[in-house]
Amino acid sequence: MTGHAGTPKTTIRDSLRAQPHLLGHVGSLVVVGVGYYLGARLGLGLSLVRDNVTPLWPPTGIAVAAFLVLGRSMWPAVAVAAFAVNLPISASPLAAAVTAVGNTAAPLVAVTLLNRVGFRRQLDRQRDALSIVFLGALASMLVSATIGSATLALTGRIPAGQLPAAFAVWWTGDAMGVLVVAPFLLSIPLFWEQPRWSARHWVEAGALLVLTAVAITWAIRTDLHLLFLTLPIVGWASWRLQLRGAAPAALIASLVATWGAAQELGPFAGRSLLEQMFTLWSFNACVALTSFFLAALVSERMQAADALAASAAELEERVRLRTAELSEANARLLREIRERSEAQEQLSHEEARAQREHQIAETLQRSLLPERMPLIPGVDLAARYVPATADVQVGGDWYDVVQLPGGLIGLAIGDVAGHGLQAAATMAQVRMALRAYAMQDPAPSSVMRGVHRLVAQLPGTEMVTLMYLLFDPVTRQLRFANAGHPPALVFGHGGGAYLRDGLAPPIGVTADATFAEASHALRPGSTLLLYTDGLVERRGVSIADGLERLSAAAVARAGDDLEGLCDGLLSAFLEESHVADDVALLAMRPSSVVGGPFSLSLPAEARMLVQVRETMRRWLRESGVPSKDADEILIACGEACANVVRHAYGAHPGDMGVEARLVDGSVEVLVRDDGAWRPAADRGGGWGLQLMSALMDSVDVEHREGGTDVRMRRRVAVGDRA
Amino acid sequence: MSDLARIEASDHGAARLVRVSGEIDLSNAREVMEAIAGAVPDEVAVVFLDLSDTTYLDSTGIAMIFRLAERLGHRRQDLRLVVPTDGPVRAVLDLTNVQLVAPIEETVPDTPDQA
Repeated sequence: MTGHAGTPKTTIRDSLRAQPHLLGHVGSLVVVGVGYYLGARLGLGLSLVRDNVTPLWPPTGIAVAAFLVLGRSMWPAVAVAAFAVNLPISASPLAAAVTAVGNTAAPLVAVTLLNRVGFRRQLDRQRDALSIVFLGALASMLVSATIGSATLALTGRIPAGQLPAAFAVWWTGDAMGVLVVAPFLLSIPLFWEQPRWSARHWVEAGALLVLTAVAITWAIRTDLHLLFLTLPIVGWASWRLQLRGAAPAALIASLVATWGAAQELGPFAGRSLLEQMFTLWSFNACVALTSFFLAALVSERMQAADALAASAAELEERVRLRTAELSEANARLLREIRERSEAQEQLSHEEARAQREHQIAETLQRSLLPERMPLIPGVDLAARYVPATADVQVGGDWYDVVQLPGGLIGLAIGDVAGHGLQAAATMAQVRMALRAYAMQDPAPSSVMRGVHRLVAQLPGTEMVTLMYLLFDPVTRQLRFANAGHPPALVFGHGGGAYLRDGLAPPIGVTADATFAEASHALRPGSTLLLYTDGLVERRGVSIADGLERLSAAAVARAGDDLEGLCDGLLSAFLEESHVADDVALLAMRPSSVVGGPFSLSLPAEARMLVQVRETMRRWLRESGVPSKDADEILIACGEACANVVRHAYGAHPGDMGVEARLVDGSVEVLVRDDGAWRPAADRGGGWGLQLMSALMDSVDVEHREGGTDVRMRRRVAVGDRA
Repeated sequence: MSDLARIEASDHGAARLVRVSGEIDLSNAREVMEAIAGAVPDEVAVVFLDLSDTTYLDSTGIAMIFRLAERLGHRRQDLRLVVPTDGPVRAVLDLTNVQLVAPIEETVPDTPDQA
């Protein structure tokens, strides 16, 4: 037990494993020691030169495997066992001890070197195979061979001349022991360290081992050199089962071959020691190298294949995850697209609805507003309605002109708060109500009260602005009341003025309301202009400025006829492309009749007779015709017109024209039609013409082509208010 | 009934007084006559038709008065007109000899004539 320079370093892993299991450690020492000793006995049994020169020295492989698996702390067991083995066959105990030192040191050196290069005892890499061949076997065993052969020579067991041969035998024996035995021992832990074998693996392994044994046994029993037959079998084992199949097969082949050489059987018979050694050494080397190089190669390939499969699986997994992500993203995208298209559809739906409502409101609005101003003798009228271009802004603005008993004319303009169908509908109700109230009692305060009562009862009461004016063409008096509407403008060549009196809050704002009434005398040649706020309201422009602008623009157009006036104002105040709010416009101007001739054209209907009389009466009054004369001229004119109504047109209605003028102190009246009078015999009554003749100085009835003219003349005392 | 004329009827002693204000022309003569006739009960013997507030009356109105007088005559009822001399319709009435079927009074008599 001498000669060891120091306690071999144990790895941390080894100590961790050894310390807590002292009993296990001692057990391991015993097992290793006994195994070493038995391996040595087996090796001596296979010796070629007495008890000393063995071509295969198993204990060295056992020691290397033990150090690799259990740690270098197993060295005492190896040292003791080696001493025990060498003692009987050495010249002295000292020689045995020295030899034992060599036998212990060699595996320690081997394992140290192997650890240094990162050797893996699984032997599953090419570099591990190379490491154990060159470092573990060939290099390290120089130590034991040198010490062992030198001891033999020094102790006189062999002559000095045989030293090289003894060294060679010792070296190859130890190296073979490492190459043949160590892989087998190293393969044993793999049975529980690596994936378990299936039954099929066990059957295959068994079959291969039997086949190897049969092949090698047969090879050493025949004179033929057939040792190489075992190589394919060992190779097969390596290929199929790697180290766990190859190492046992290689061990069997090598042991049997070595035994055969020791017994000088078959191919070894009659050969020199050197020939036997060389053959055996070559065979064992081939078997060992074949087995674990091939095993390592296959293991590497399998690991590569596993790694490839793993990365392929990982890739597949990632692809699967990515695909799932993508498909989820895709589903999300599809969902978004669907939601978006639904929203789009809903939007266009609403757009279409809004547009439809806009059209309905505009149509309703237009149908409710008087399309043509009524022909009212004595006044000219013109009106405009311009709907807002924006979808929702239509509706609510309105105007109306009502002919009332006594020749009065009611004018109204208003704005119902809000837009669209609701406002248009409210507007319609207010307008109809106003007509009814005006018929009942045309006084502005009365009409306003009535409308106020109505609006108060409408569901969802709207605010309504309304200006109502009552015009008497005879006196030219305007009576009006204004509920929150922009004031009407009265203008002529001399300038303009707003009718700012008679003001009350908008209808519908207050629960109870009283309406003041104001009046204004419309001067000859003046024009009355009613409008809604859309005309004068501009962003960034004050109402006062808007009104001033309107007044100036109107005065500038005081000479235009009313149609031209309306068009001129609209084009001056509205942009063509964009009308923000509805605009309603109503203009009225008393016809200028003073001194001039009077001309009227009306449908030949009974209900129009009163219009003719009203207009004629006013003209006669303004022309200074005394009322007595005027009354009688009116009757004569009325008779002529009634005749037209009754007789001029059959089933097909036509117009009647009435003209009157003052000529040389006489009133000349012309009543004309474009019909064909029925024969005089058909006419009933007969008082008509009689009255005309009696009331007028002359009556001429002229049937011309396509119509009849009735000319009447009567001298009047103009200027004489008799 | 159009807006042109308005009919008011009241008892005047044993007679019936029907006042027409407004205008009578081709457009409303028939209606006016129906309204007047409807305002006169069967038992009344004399009907005063007051045209003082009538501002216009043409030949259609004259014809209406003749027809009304005839119709009341069938019911043994007398028609009398009340028209001031300077009233707007007086000239027409005079020119057409309405007095032949309906005497014209200046005013409504204080004591109704019992016919």
